[in-house]
Formats: sequence, C-alpha cells, structure tokens
Amino acid sequence: MDELLQEFISETQETLEALAGEVVAWEANPADSQRLDAIFRFFHTVKGSCGFLNLPRFEKLSHAAEDVLSEIRAGNRKPDPATVSAVLAIMDRIGELAEAVARGAALPNENDEYLIGALTQVEAPAAPAAEAEPEEPAAPVAAVRQGQALRTIRLPLSLIDQLMNGVSDMVLARNELSRKLRDRSADPELDSAFERLSTCVADMRDVISKTRMQRVERLFAAMPRMVRDLSRDLDKRIDLTLEGGDVEMDREMVEMVVDPLTHIVRNSIDHGIETPERRRAAGKPEAGRLRLEARQSGNQIVIEIGDDGAGINTARLVEKAIASGRLTPDAAARMTEQDKLDLIFQPGLTTAAKVTAVSGRGVGMDVVRANIERIGGVIALDNHPGQGLRITLRVPLTLTIIPGLIVRAGGLHFAIPRAAVVEILHDNNEMMQIADVGGAKIATIRSLRHSMIDLEDVLGMDKPQQVGPRAVMVVRSATGVPFAMGVSAVENHEELVIRPASPLVMASGVYAGMTLPDNGKPMLLLDAAGLANAARLPNLIDDRAHGAVADAAAEEAGVEMVAALRFEELSGERRLLRLSLIERVEDIDAGLFGRSGGQAFVRLDERLVPVVNGQHGFDDGKVCALRLRDGSLEACYPVAAVLDIVQMPLVPDMVAMHGVLSGVAVVDGEHLEVINPFALFAALPQEPIAPHSRGRCLLADAEDGWTREILAPLLRQAGHEVVLGLPGDAVDAQDIVLYSAGDVGQVAEIMGCRVVHLRATPRGTGPMDASIYRYDQDALMAALSGTRG
Amino acid sequence: MEQLYLLATLAGARIAVDASEVEAVVKLIDVSPVPGMGAHVAGLSALRSRVLTIIDVAALIHGHATPADQRDLAVIANISGHSYGLMVDGVSDICRVPEGELPLRGQLDSAWMPFARGVVEHEGIPHLLVSLAGFIEAGAQAQAA
Repeated sequence: MDELLQEFISETQETLEALAGEVVAWEANPADSQRLDAIFRFFHTVKGSCGFLNLPRFEKLSHAAEDVLSEIRAGNRKPDPATVSAVLAIMDRIGELAEAVARGAALPNENDEYLIGALTQVEAPAAPAAEAEPEEPAAPVAAVRQGQALRTIRLPLSLIDQLMNGVSDMVLARNELSRKLRDRSADPELDSAFERLSTCVADMRDVISKTRMQRVERLFAAMPRMVRDLSRDLDKRIDLTLEGGDVEMDREMVEMVVDPLTHIVRNSIDHGIETPERRRAAGKPEAGRLRLEARQSGNQIVIEIGDDGAGINTARLVEKAIASGRLTPDAAARMTEQDKLDLIFQPGLTTAAKVTAVSGRGVGMDVVRANIERIGGVIALDNHPGQGLRITLRVPLTLTIIPGLIVRAGGLHFAIPRAAVVEILHDNNEMMQIADVGGAKIATIRSLRHSMIDLEDVLGMDKPQQVGPRAVMVVRSATGVPFAMGVSAVENHEELVIRPASPLVMASGVYAGMTLPDNGKPMLLLDAAGLANAARLPNLIDDRAHGAVADAAAEEAGVEMVAALRFEELSGERRLLRLSLIERVEDIDAGLFGRSGGQAFVRLDERLVPVVNGQHGFDDGKVCALRLRDGSLEACYPVAAVLDIVQMPLVPDMVAMHGVLSGVAVVDGEHLEVINPFALFAALPQEPIAPHSRGRCLLADAEDGWTREILAPLLRQAGHEVVLGLPGDAVDAQDIVLYSAGDVGQVAEIMGCRVVHLRATPRGTGPMDASIYRYDQDALMAALSGTRG
Repeated sequence: MEQLYLLATLAGARIAVDASEVEAVVKLIDVSPVPGMGAHVAGLSALRSRVLTIIDVAALIHGHATPADQRDLAVIANISGHSYGLMVDGVSDICRVPEGELPLRGQLDSAWMPFARGVVEHEGIPHLLVSLAGFIEAGAQAQAA
C-alpha cells in the first residue's frame, strides 16, 4: 500500500510541475481547449487514484475542480479569470497536500470548503474570494522545492541490463587501455587522467549494480498467504514473523532463492511444527512460531528460517539411510550428531513418515542445497530435537559475482566456485595416498577415502606432462559427498563475474556458467555436482566418522599437537614452524630485498622489515616469504616453497635447546626440523631497522664544498643520517662528528660524542695522527662503524 | 516481398540466411575451446564484453571439426537470449532477392536435409536457404543423442 501511495504522490507532483506552465498558458488563452483537456485529465486521474487510496480530501478537491472544468468543456460556463484562479488554487492545495503526505506530516488543516466554494460561486462577477486566492500559492511553491521526496521512474529491465553490459564493456576497454599504457613510458599526466577515468568507471559500475537490487520484502511477500493456506490445510496454527524485509539483494538472486525458501517453509510447517494437540501435550503454546529473518552480513545475505517445532529426528534419518542401503549400521554408530543431521541432504531421504501433498516425497533438502550452492550459497542446520530447527541460508549479495578459484587443466583455464572447494593439496603430500584400483582412483586424505577424478579425464582432454606436483582439490558437490579432483594447478583466487552460458554448453552438465576475465579470454565455470555425475562417481556416504575416530585416537595417544606450517627452506631442507607465528604468506619482489649494516632486510610498505634467515640476494622475480610477528616484532622469512599445514607435537620428538632449531619432529613419517621461534626473534635487532639506528653524522665543516658535495652524499648513500654543521643542542652519544679542519674535534669530545678527523693528504702527518685520508672509503666506513661500537 | 539475405558459403555449399537473423559478421580471432562437448561446439569467443558460443556448423553437417587454422568468419546471431557465432567459410554478399524463397528441387544431400528450408536465387545461382536458429536446435539435439 505504501508503495502505491508513494507512487501516486510522486506522479501527482510530477504532473503538477509539468502542468504549471499549461495552466498559465490556459489563463492567457482560456479558449485553448487542448490545455483545458490536459488539466481536466490531471484532476480526473487524481480523483480516480485517491478514491482507491482513501484520501478523501484529495478526492473532494479534485472532484470539485473536475466538475467545473467539465462544465467549461461542455461550453456551459466561461473560463473567466476568477474560475482559472480558483482552479489554480485547488491545484496548489493538492500540491501542498501531496507534499505533506510525502513527508508523512499532518495534512495542512485549511478549509478546503472555502476553495471549493470559490470555485462554484465565481459565477458572481465580483468574486472577492477568488481574487484573494492567488496570494496563497507563493508559500507552498517554495515548500514543494525543499521537500523533494523520493522520486522514481519505471524502467524496463532490459534497459538496465543493457546499461550493465555497457559498463562491463567500459571496464574491459579500461583494462585494455591500462595494459597499453603500461607498455609505454610513464607519463604522470596521462596516468593521473587515466586514474580519474578508472575511478569514474568503478563508481559507475557500483551505481549500476545498485539498480539491480531489490528488497527482500519481495521474497517474503508471498509467505503470509502460503503459511495461512498451508496451516489451514494441515489444521495447524502458526504465528509467522517476517523481519528484515528492507534488506536489498540482487534481483536475480531473489528469484533464485524463492524456491528453496518456499520449500523450507513448507517443510517446516508440514514436518516441523506439530499439531495443536501434540504441541499442547509437549507443553508448547498451541500456535507454532515460524520466523523468517533476513540480514546483510558483509557481502552476504543471511536468511534464517526458524521454527519451534519438533526438529529433525536424526535417529529416524539414520534408520532410513540404513534401510536404503546407503549406510552400514557400523558406520552409523560412529557418526556424530552433525554427520547424522547432514543425512537430510542425501537425495531420497526424508523424515516424513508418510508422503503428504505438501512435502515428503524425498525430493527435498538435497535439491534445496543444490539450488543454494549453485548460486554460491551455503546452507546450515541448527537442530534442537523437540525444540525446533533453525535453517540458515547464506547467499552472496549478487548472483553475478562469486569468489572463485582459477584452475588449470589440460592447458586450459577453468573457474570453480570457492564455496565448492574444501581443501587443496599437492599430490606429493604425505597426508594423501592415491590408489588406482581397476581404473578407479581413490584418494585417501587423513584416513578419509574420496573418489578421485582427474578433470582432464572427465572433460576428455589430454593430460600434458608436467614438472612438479599436480594439485588435488577436495570438492564438495551439491549432493554433499566430497570427492577429490586432480588438476594441473590451482592458479589464482578471483572475484568472478558469472554469466549464464548458452544452453548448448549448459546441456553438457559439467559447466555452471562462464566468465570473462580481464585478459578477454572466456573461461568456463565448473559445476561440481555435474562433474561428479559426468564421472559417474558413486554417491557413497563416506565413512568420515571412521577417520575422525582414527584422528582422535592419534591425538589421545600422542602428545598435545599444534598446527605448524611445513615449508621448504631455500637451502632445500624441509622444516616446520608454528602456524600461530605466521601472519601470512606473501610473494615479495626480489628487488625489495637488501642488506645493510650486516642485516638483511626487505622493504615492505615503506618500512624495513628484518629478514631472519639472512637471505637477501635473489635473482628471480618473486620470493615466497613468511611474514612473522611475535606481537610487537615483525620479521620476514623467505622460503623456497610453502608445502602445507600439519599437526606437530607441541614438544618436538628430539629436543635441541640452542640455535635456530628447537628439535626434530616426526610428521607423517618424515623427520622435520622445527624452527625455534625464540631464537628467531631473539636474533632480531632490537630497534626497528632505520637509518637513525646508526647514529647521525654531524659534518662540522658545513661550508666546505667537498664536505657538502662529496662526503655528505656518500654518507647518505651508506644509510647514515647527515646533519650539516654542528647542532647547538641535542647531540647524543650515538652521533659521530666528522671534521677536516680546525679544532672542532676537541669541542665535540667535550660534548661527549665520537669524532672522525679527515685529512686531505694521503699520508698522515706523523704516527700520532689518527686522522683518515678522505678518499679512503674503507677506512672511513670502518671508522664510522668502529666509533659507533 | 523483397527480403534481405546474407549470402555465404558453408561446408562447400552456397547458403542464404535471412538477414534479420544476422547481427554481424566477425573475423574469429581467439576461440577458447570447451572440452567435453561435441565437435560442433568450437568454443567460446569474446566480442567486447559479450561471450559468443562458437558453433562449427560444418561439423554439424559433416560431423568432423574444422581445423583451427581454417576458422575464419563467424555470423553473429542472438538466438533465444544467447549470443552465438556460427562459423562459415566465406561471406559473399548481402542483397535483396525480389523473387524471395523458392521451393527446393532435386535430391538434397541427407546431411543438409534438416537445415535447408528452400532455395534463394541470386543472379541465377541458387543458394540454400537455412535458418541459424535451426543450427542451434540441431546442435542441442546432437548433444542429447
């Protein structure tokens, strides 16, 4: 209703604005019947709409004006100036009222009868009332200007899509331009102009994507009716609460969520909420509560569907799964509650004792989950048997942009939704064994068995020879059974703009869509469930509980375990480092590494960060480095490769108490040296690496050309802070005074800092001469560092 | 009825396509293959920000794919909301044909049977009238089979 009202108001205001000119023209030429018709139509429309919207004052005013105007049209009455003024007054009053309604303010309480009276009695030529009217509009007109309420126009969707495509084209053109610019020599002016263009394009893309947004309200709109009808059919009483209808999400996303949401709500009413009798027996209020809530969380929309019904009977689920032969009783016994709950996502399983018209045919939660996951969403259950069930759907804000992984297989690139990938390993990882049995591949990862496929085999591609390990991803398909998929490599992680592929391509069943990355080469998005189907993988519930038991046993039997990163040193050894110390792993440009004052460092974000293993000369472009932090100190640890994350015992199996290694741990049968974080951080320079730590060089002979032009740059280049002249104050013991003439030395010594005397001749004046020849760089540097120590 | 036709050669035959079906003719540059598909889907290609599904029409007719180095031109068409590029050997003309569509005469090669709708004569030379949408449908059927 509010939307209708809003639309009526903005429409009325817009027409009023457009009509203002018409009325003035009509006043000038009352015989102009075309203008009269336009004004008549306006009142007629207002009268029609406000009768429907229950706005009696609008109706009365417009009705009166319409009557007068129709008389004029019929020629029964002359449009004399008084009548025109009265009509204008009515129009102004409607404008005022519309203004008030739009702002939600009380309607201005003026006497409408007075205006209507003016309109009808103007036959009397005197018409003092009508004369007075035109004074009034002045104020309201100003009011209309200040309170421009939300004005809207309706646009065909195709236009917005076209706009969106246009912006996409623009982004691509921008990217191409950026590539071309990079090849050219840098031109700051051109760069800044390009930068501005980029910002505009980005802003524009943001705004355009907002036009695609729609309130979740639309998703909720059908719910009350459906709930009412269903509860009547099933003789149940249900209190429905809807919340967060004003959250906005992508229009297409709303459409994709409608079906799963409807399904969940139907399930909840049919199986979840009990009949009033049973509820009473269970001590619950007769009316069941059903609550739908939507909210935005980061770039996701969270939709929660909660009821206070019976929840999911996991025991019955297990029974059914065993009865259908999907599960052995043995495995069932080992399953955790959550594993049992997840059975609901198995196709063909339902808790419903009998099939009803509403639900329970077993085409249920598996389809819901498949649909949610197809759009990059996640579904989670929070089951409280006897108390209720809460289902949480998390879907991305827009359908079109999903986080994805770029993988390479058979020399081509493919994308796969990030949400579908559980884990990525290399096939040389000790945690994983790949067995080949009669053509079937089985990957056992941490004593968990997965069906394994190679993407190249499924898609019928050649598997090119490759150096180095292949990547194996554990992919969870929509049916919930994870499988392992081998690819050449996992290359990148990107936000992908997904668009539907043509039906011809979609029909293959293994692709979920396509995307056009910046390089302009179309890429296909893989459909995890489709791949599993295409490979005809058995849809077996994995005995994951077994794996969990094995893991738990290892944990109990062993010592306390901590997560550690397994990596390969630049020198080739494999070592472990406590994961908690590693802030992140980063590829750093080799050029950023350097060495100064006996300490290797790397320039990161304008700071110098010490490199703990002293490595600094790298020849290739990027260096993989661990960024470490002990809370306050920061360090960088270049490595050859990061292998994986493993569990290592808190206390290494063989302890070495000194040096950079704290011992040796055995992980998966491999002996690995464990880095001692204590020694690592203890070896760091206590002060942050900054030129200042070397002390300032005070150049006494500030006026001397050689000192200014040759000595000062040399010292600066060596990383010293250089001060020309002796500062009057604040000389600290770290500072070094360099001088070549005069008695500055004594003065400096009195001030308490060290001095270096430079002389202009290669040979000293005598054995007692401690001065240094000024072109003897080695001696000078030695003196500088010596005097410091 | 003066209909505008695009005249082209395809799989060794002269064809005519109703010009209203044709959006553009482009030179194919970069086609990313779509593995796991029949030979008639040559791949995907980007036309500005649009992604075209490239159909190897010759493969649809003769059953063997056109080698990558012989891919040259594609006729762009929008068929039920999706953009396709249909590979052709060459494009000769776009012209009005005053006589319009003529019925098929003679024994048509069975490979062409599903696609030919009639004959269009231009300067005395007959061209097989085909529909682009027909190729896409046939492609979908080839896949289902």
